[in-house]
Amino acid sequence: MWYKLHNIADWFIDLTERRRVIKDFNYAAKDAFIQGYAPTLLQAKTTRGDSYYRHSFSKFMSGGYRIKALSGRPMAKSELIDIAKIVLDDESLVRKLMSLGWDTLEIHDSQGFHGIKYPLKEHANLGGFLGN
Amino acid sequence: MLQADTLIINHVAESIIPESFTGNLLDNPIWFWISILQFTIIIRLIILRNKKTDLLTNDELNGLKESKNNSIDMSGLMNNINYSRDLYKELSKKCHPDKFLDKEVKDQADLIFQEISKHKRNYKQLLILKQRAQNELNIN
Repeated sequence: MWYKLHNIADWFIDLTERRRVIKDFNYAAKDAFIQGYAPTLLQAKTTRGDSYYRHSFSKFMSGGYRIKALSGRPMAKSELIDIAKIVLDDESLVRKLMSLGWDTLEIHDSQGFHGIKYPLKEHANLGGFLGN
Repeated sequence: MLQADTLIINHVAESIIPESFTGNLLDNPIWFWISILQFTIIIRLIILRNKKTDLLTNDELNGLKESKNNSIDMSGLMNNINYSRDLYKELSKKCHPDKFLDKEVKDQADLIFQEISKHKRNYKQLLILKQRAQNELNIN
């Protein structure tokens, strides 16, 4: 009986963590844009994600971490790939996203439905723990 | 009527509660030893719990607490997105090994160039490598 209460408490803690990750990203992106360091305004939000990229810790119907880039013009695919690769290169960030229930990284243009998506589990360098 | 009820209650209580419960705890040696045993088990559990926390040093405990509150450096991520590309281009041009004729310097440039390629999307590391290149390869 008591472990059910713990599960409920954990669910709320996870929710808070997820909101904090998105909020931190949006604050940092806004700050960089307002101060003129960044030519593109980025915004993160949670989406449904791709069901093919699911893993054991995926949250139901909210496994997508979408970064929307507002640049005032249609962005080239190479630019979107650059942003995605920079995010995926940060292993601690990818692992944090995975542990909080996200499974798909989506980078989207502000205009139209163009975007790319990556499975997070393939970029978290999983499986190396027991071998070392 | 009230007296009859009281008598019935007393009779039921006597039939349910064993005699050993009714007396003083210390009068009956069995209950005394059971309570001692329980007390010993509680003390033992408290000692075990304290021993578990003693296994970790203060630094390890602090590290554990920090890792729970660990947050990602988002401003660093923004720097990576906005600046790393330009800095990588600049450094890969300036530190290319083919630009150096002296063999020792060329080898050094080769190592730095490899590091630059490895950290091409990490602005913080690229800044460190830029400093290293300025010191070791004498570039501006």
